[in-house]
Amino acid sequence: MRDRGAGFRFAVHGLGSAVLAFLLLPILAVVPASFNHGTFIRIPPETWSLRWYQRFFADPEWLSSLWTSFEVAVIATVLSVLLGTSAALGLARVGGRLRATLTGLVLAPMIVPVVVTAVALYYIGRYWGLTGTMLGLAVAHVLMCLPFVVLNVGVSLRGLDPTWLRAAEGLGASPARVFLTVTMPTILPGLFGGAVFSLITSFDEVVMSIFLAGIRAKTLPVKMWETVRLEFSPVLSVASTLLIVLTVVLFGLFRLADRRAQP
Amino acid sequence: MPVTTTMRRHTATALLLLPALLFLALSFVAPMLILFKLSVTAKEGPLWAYGEILGNAVYLRVFWNTLVVAVAVTAISVIAAYPTAYMLTLLKGWALTLAVYGVLFPLWISVLIRTFSWILLLEKNGPVNRALVASGVVDGPVQFLFNNTGVLIGMIHVLLPYAILPIYANMLRVDGRLMLASDGLAASPWMTFRRVYLPLTMPGVGAGAVFVFLLSLGFFITPALLGGISNLTVAMLIELLVNERLIWSLAAAASFLLLAAIAALLAVAARFVPLGTALEAR
Repeated sequence: MRDRGAGFRFAVHGLGSAVLAFLLLPILAVVPASFNHGTFIRIPPETWSLRWYQRFFADPEWLSSLWTSFEVAVIATVLSVLLGTSAALGLARVGGRLRATLTGLVLAPMIVPVVVTAVALYYIGRYWGLTGTMLGLAVAHVLMCLPFVVLNVGVSLRGLDPTWLRAAEGLGASPARVFLTVTMPTILPGLFGGAVFSLITSFDEVVMSIFLAGIRAKTLPVKMWETVRLEFSPVLSVASTLLIVLTVVLFGLFRLADRRAQP
Repeated sequence: MPVTTTMRRHTATALLLLPALLFLALSFVAPMLILFKLSVTAKEGPLWAYGEILGNAVYLRVFWNTLVVAVAVTAISVIAAYPTAYMLTLLKGWALTLAVYGVLFPLWISVLIRTFSWILLLEKNGPVNRALVASGVVDGPVQFLFNNTGVLIGMIHVLLPYAILPIYANMLRVDGRLMLASDGLAASPWMTFRRVYLPLTMPGVGAGAVFVFLLSLGFFITPALLGGISNLTVAMLIELLVNERLIWSLAAAASFLLLAAIAALLAVAARFVPLGTALEAR
């Protein structure tokens, strides 16, 4: 476009930066809030301390919810990667309408409002013994994570040249060997990306977990949800900060692996 | 020989798809079908639950409020997203990387944390109110929370990236020579924008609007924490019917009315907006 002058560019950058600040600052506000000394959260804190971190790590309920989150996230991620990778490989082998229909089915949990899926699963889960159990939470999380794995592996599968597969077969490689030496290295970045997305999704999942959690199986976001409805305890900002740090670490790992995979 | 090879191939494909399909059938399709059955098997009659919701002013107001909030969130998000996406197209190098991460990063932070953060920022003695009072813009603290203002702020914050990304992806595909041609034909910058650039970026705007609108219809956490009990959304109503009032048939009917609205919207949108390509842009 013709140079619209400094005024126009200033306006665009001003508006855009304001929107970016609006997106980022509220997330960062939670971090200093966790270092409050007082009983009431103040941003920025009047006196800084690690008091509420001590409270968090001394409270068995918060700790066990953190531990449950870890366990559920690992189970959900392993299941999602296994089911999702297999499904993505299968989807690449069918064509036309069938492929579109099946892809739609896999992605449907992303489109149906989570409350609706949660209520449906909660109803049936009471009869199948899924509510209040780690397995129930993991199943619900797999439903949310699966689309990410299928999409990620699907994208990296597009980089797989079918002639390589035929070449490997022609050279007498068994299907298992073709998979391990040709397919696997190609889809590994997508598989890793899907796994990271799954971990983060499972760690952050609230709505499904609120319905399916019980006293014995309560993830960190559920504990946070219950607490936020009772009181705005500074422990909440500690839990939030820990989750943010965890997400940043996972995200960083993913970018690192992604960069290494694409020379 | 070729026949058996083809058959083996089909069997392998089926075996690859089977685990995920079985899982989805049990944990998604079956529960949804049972929920549907619940909505049409109330002891008062097969269509009682739907009639009760569509005929009751209290429930209709919840649906209306959800629609109003969704429309407002969508409109403001798209208006804010457009210049932001355009700014991204002007940036290069590290500034671009930083700005793109700025848009993507919030997507990875839990909605619960982001909503909680807004409570801290917008409460009566929070930093936003302190700044407003100190600068003399308002006389006393503004009531942001537990009404639709707080809900709008929180939801726009969560959904903005879904508007920015498809618009940005669309803007990247616009051929810059078309603008040069328009300039060469002596069109004013405003004319070039209105007649060339805006129409070319409308598919992105449409895709962004559809995403934001769809997602906001089913929002639960943000309205539940930032909104008041007088501004219920459909998602909050469903939760309330299940957990507080224990009327499953009504909760199921509300769920399927919400789903029907979403399905209708998607069907209409698919005719005008290239949703598939926009989804890939994510």
